[in-house]
Amino acid sequence: MKAIEKYVEALKNCDNKALSMCFAEDGTLRDYCPNATGRQEYHVYGREAIDMFFKNKFTFRQYLISEAEIVNDEQAEFIASIGGYYVMCIATVRRVDENGLITRLTVRPK
Amino acid sequence: MGTYVVTGGSSGIGAAAVELLKSDGHEVINVDLRGGDICANLATQEGRDTAIEGIVEKCPDGIDGIICNAGVSGNCGNLELVISLNYFGTVKLARGLFDLLQKKNGSVVVTVSNTISQGTGRMDIVDLLNNVGDEQRICNIVKTMDATNQTVGQSIYMATKYALARWVRRISTAWAARGVRVNAVAPGNVRTAMTDSLSDAAKFAVSALPIPVRYGSDALMDPEEIAESMRFLLSKRARGINGIILFTDGGTDALLNSEKVY
Repeated sequence: MKAIEKYVEALKNCDNKALSMCFAEDGTLRDYCPNATGRQEYHVYGREAIDMFFKNKFTFRQYLISEAEIVNDEQAEFIASIGGYYVMCIATVRRVDENGLITRLTVRPK
Repeated sequence: MGTYVVTGGSSGIGAAAVELLKSDGHEVINVDLRGGDICANLATQEGRDTAIEGIVEKCPDGIDGIICNAGVSGNCGNLELVISLNYFGTVKLARGLFDLLQKKNGSVVVTVSNTISQGTGRMDIVDLLNNVGDEQRICNIVKTMDATNQTVGQSIYMATKYALARWVRRISTAWAARGVRVNAVAPGNVRTAMTDSLSDAAKFAVSALPIPVRYGSDALMDPEEIAESMRFLLSKRARGINGIILFTDGGTDALLNSEKVY
């Protein structure tokens, strides 16, 4: 399973632990889609922070995805519900390490 | 040595603050519903008047600071109490003690909460609290809400804490110009009687406000950690600090709001 597939699967399952394990220890996630809902974007640095951050988002149902589709080996599209607002998103794995773990991932509105 | 007032000083964060200040050699007056040096219900105007009169009687020459800490959780089942105690129990008491604070160039520390980081408080209620400030009317509005719904309770709790934080920002400049500094401490989830008494659902929600310095464990912040911040803000060492919300939450706010740099 490729990193982008694991990432989408973890998001679909609201599994913060699995999501964090897609990332290298110092992996970063940058999500600009919250801007489209009047919120500040997310910049989450490090595996533990990704785990904690999404535990919060999933528990309070502040970040849910649907209609996910793998576009290619590095990209996936989905509709994210961010605080109840829907945004069409495209996620891109920018870099992975030698173990296939994500070191940089960005999510932008599509 | 100074003279300080702590509200809600009989347990939890307040009790830790009382202990710390006493260990520094200060005189501390605990104002609480039960077990205080002055027993008063700060959710009522009569109680606030009782507290103010008692403090004036004990400290006619002024006070060096006050920690406005008394509060209840949003799950207490009484939304009017959340409004009256958490917000008005602080704001009206602090205003009532302003003259005593000014006599000694005192300092006010308000306990807010890092739940404001979550951003799901009722901002309409925040605006009513800060901009209208009519306690009875606001209580009449929240009385119509479902107090048994924990989401509703939490949103009103957050609203009172957000409004307190904004009150601190708004009032701090003029009060500082008159010699009284005003700051807030925003604790993370703290091990207190309040958090011990939460329902399982509420405890689950508490655990979803992760504490980075406690990563990998279910441990909450210690009341003493919060009290240390309060002691610092009250002290002369913090004489240059005014109008801030000091998050003492192990990094929760930074986690959820990394882009908010002030």
